[in-house]
Amino acid sequence: MTTARTLDSKQQAIVDAAQVAVQSRGYWATVAGRIRDDKVTIVCGLVVLLIVFSAVFADLIALADPYKASMLKRLAEIGAPGYPLGADEMGRDMMTRLLYGGRLSLFMGISPIVIALAIGGTLGLVAGFLGGRVNMLIMRLMDVFYAFPSVLLAVAISGALGAGIGNAIVSLTLVFIPPITRVTESVTTQVRSLDYVEAARASGAGSLTIIRVHVLSNVLGPVFIYATSLISVSIILASGLSFLGLGTEPPEPEWGLMLNTLRQSIYVNPWVAALPGVMIFFTSLSFNLLSDGLRGAMDVRL
Amino acid sequence: MNAPAQSTAGGASALLEVRDLRKYFPVRGGILNRAVGWVQAVDDIDLDVLPGEVLGIVGESGCGKSTTARLLMHLIRADAGRIVFDGNAVRADDAAGLRELRRQMQMVFQDSYSSLNPRLPIEDTIMFGPKVHGVSSAEARERARELFALVGLDPAQFIRRYPHELSGGQRQRVNIARALALEPRLLILDEAVSALDKSVEAQVLNLLLTLRRELGLTYIFISHDLNVVQYMSDRVLVMYLGKVVEIGPTAEIYQRMQHPYTEALLSAMPSMDPDRRTETPPLVGDPPNPIDPPPGCRFHTRCRFAEDVCRRAEPRLGPAAGEETADGPAAGADHLVACHMRVAASGHSLAPAG
Repeated sequence: MTTARTLDSKQQAIVDAAQVAVQSRGYWATVAGRIRDDKVTIVCGLVVLLIVFSAVFADLIALADPYKASMLKRLAEIGAPGYPLGADEMGRDMMTRLLYGGRLSLFMGISPIVIALAIGGTLGLVAGFLGGRVNMLIMRLMDVFYAFPSVLLAVAISGALGAGIGNAIVSLTLVFIPPITRVTESVTTQVRSLDYVEAARASGAGSLTIIRVHVLSNVLGPVFIYATSLISVSIILASGLSFLGLGTEPPEPEWGLMLNTLRQSIYVNPWVAALPGVMIFFTSLSFNLLSDGLRGAMDVRL
Repeated sequence: MNAPAQSTAGGASALLEVRDLRKYFPVRGGILNRAVGWVQAVDDIDLDVLPGEVLGIVGESGCGKSTTARLLMHLIRADAGRIVFDGNAVRADDAAGLRELRRQMQMVFQDSYSSLNPRLPIEDTIMFGPKVHGVSSAEARERARELFALVGLDPAQFIRRYPHELSGGQRQRVNIARALALEPRLLILDEAVSALDKSVEAQVLNLLLTLRRELGLTYIFISHDLNVVQYMSDRVLVMYLGKVVEIGPTAEIYQRMQHPYTEALLSAMPSMDPDRRTETPPLVGDPPNPIDPPPGCRFHTRCRFAEDVCRRAEPRLGPAAGEETADGPAAGADHLVACHMRVAASGHSLAPAG
């Protein structure tokens, strides 16, 4: 009987080995393989990389000084000599200003999400893992913020704090903390009740170890992807605040602000006036599609 | 407190001794979210597990089997009761004691997928427990390899795999390896093979029996599959609505059951013989709501022998006073039953004369 059973498990191992002929690949290798087949995500990723790269290295790429005005070149056409993308209402080189504007727009769009991810992620993790009264307290507090539409909330906070980049970032951060907290909380609550967390507790591990090894790795993915999808909203909101005069102040180049100042010239030179809007559109669209693609690629169960 | 309850294992010294274990879950409702009722999931159960044996726990869905398992592992806090492991009382507020208990006692869950972290290679999952208990990474890795071989998975091929790259049977083998990684003495198998298909189930059952013999393990085997329990267990405990109704050696329970519920449960076992098929349902209706269990004997609402005494008084678990039969003497001291019909002079018309 003993031999029969030992044989049993050995045979089983052979059968198992034959069944799964595919060699195991690591998680990230699987994700990379899926992205490779997804052209939209690759293109969007490249566009995002290009935008980020050109913003970071604006002073190396740009041909002119973003603040240098010229009365003669006001609203120059696209393709005018020395002005590949034309000039704005003060005669400043549009291409240079768009490159530098990307810096501020991306900074103002991404940094609130990063800060909100740190704060909201922690709050959501705590609320979801501890549950009970702590959960109630944190989540009801977030509901208070939910009572206001996000644009209105951002405008109201910015208005109360006054114009300026710092204040705009603070107000956007406050806008994005509640949704990130809510998503983190719901994912954490789900993960917490799964058997592998129970099993980890049954092996005698403390809460911090369980969160670090078992909860965080399963919560971070979805929350990170959700935050990526918020970047597009954040960039639009940040540009919106600048457009309303609550974000950056002239003469700083920023896409939203540029859109505002060029607004009067829309009948004179519509192509140049539309350029900042085009940049906002493509940046936000690329971030959105990229986060969509990542969501699909990072789903373990597919 | 009543007098020390008697052993449910016929006097032998137990590895795990449980007395008056109770867990009521609040049912919340109303605008103030107050408890408006209590689900009496586990109500004052006693059980003993002897070293080296397999204790099977059977019962319908919702009778408290899994709650009992989680209470024993201290995954949920008991409302009352005493748990003694290997002579040491375990208290829920004693962190060091709990840690030690969890090293000695491990659990395998029903759902082989959700009990493995999808983001960790299975090797890391197995190494997690030992590392929590201070084993070095290298040593834990070594142990993981040994365990893989022990449960019949080729280490070279499997260690770096993720749970979704395994079949259900392979995953449950990993779960067993994980439970064994802390070198426990007692393994709680909560419906551990119920989600597997029959051929894989048989392989895993045989693996469990081999491991038990080679490692000298003790099992608490929870299942709703009566055939599997009969195959695996030395003793069987029957639960109904959070109560133990009968406990005894497997052969005794399966051949000379004393409680009408056990009888009904066992007659629901499908027969292999087409001439002996079960024609009439042994029981009708669903178990009563555990939020408001019937007074007296909890089974009286569905019992065909129910009399007045069953509605009034709750029967206590005691030795089965069965008559001598052709097969041998009356039920031994290790066969306990909670039924008025088996207690002398209980007031039930079918009770033996006292």
